[in-house]
Amino acid sequence: MTTTKEFHWFWAWDDEKEEAYLREMALDGWHFKSVTFPGNYTFEKGELRNDFYRLDILSNYKDKDNYLQLFEDAGWSHVGEYGSWQYFRKTAPQGETPEIFTDNESKQKKYSRILGFLIIFFPIYSIMLNDLHKAEGRFYEIATFVFFLFMLLYAYAMLMLIRRISQLKKKL
Amino acid sequence: MSIDFKKYLPLTEATAYILLALSEPLHGYGVMQKVEAMSNGEVKIGPGTLYGAFSTLESDGIIEKAGEEGRRKIYTLTDKGKLLLKEHVRRAEIFVKNGEITRGW
Repeated sequence: MTTTKEFHWFWAWDDEKEEAYLREMALDGWHFKSVTFPGNYTFEKGELRNDFYRLDILSNYKDKDNYLQLFEDAGWSHVGEYGSWQYFRKTAPQGETPEIFTDNESKQKKYSRILGFLIIFFPIYSIMLNDLHKAEGRFYEIATFVFFLFMLLYAYAMLMLIRRISQLKKKL
Repeated sequence: MSIDFKKYLPLTEATAYILLALSEPLHGYGVMQKVEAMSNGEVKIGPGTLYGAFSTLESDGIIEKAGEEGRRKIYTLTDKGKLLLKEHVRRAEIFVKNGEITRGW
């Protein structure tokens, strides 16, 4: 089986771009096989297919079997996983665009789930940064700086998710 | 039993149909099919939306787990859910009655 690898970085709030990217590849006959951190995609060569990809965030792992069964029943194949992200694929007849989310509210909730994960860990990281900052020595100075950059990125991610949620709210 | 209906009403069209479908115990895909059939294809619910709706309705005590069929969870309306749906229908009937004026348009 011929495979190819590609690197792509997608932010969590740009998952629709990732879905479109996977679809473009499928239209060219490259079918999503897996993705690993931080964005290494593996594709398998096959027929050109009118596939749609949709991504969801699973937060209740205890209910995973029931969750995946529902998607399968609805005609969506579970094709991959990346952290909490679940990758689904459906081959659709021409002119149809299948969706896993059929209203804005449930789409918003997907981003709220990601935001929830970030908010839970924010105080822990803040305490860690504070402790690093208090410690003395060259190593801790560098570590504090690196950690500070990480925190900036973290805050940026939270802001962008909030923005995405409010964009969806306006569409209601 | 008294419910703060204001918290839930008005129900969205999709939610109202989900509750109506769960007047008998059904699993998620059963609800999707029944809703599409009942609404003459007007209301289609995706699995992501339905899964989220089930979670919220279950934690609000409007629906409850009634069993399992393989890996599928089966849900049904609780008494609270029945009251809520009844109230929604009562209000919808008033609306439909008032909407009679559009018949001749």
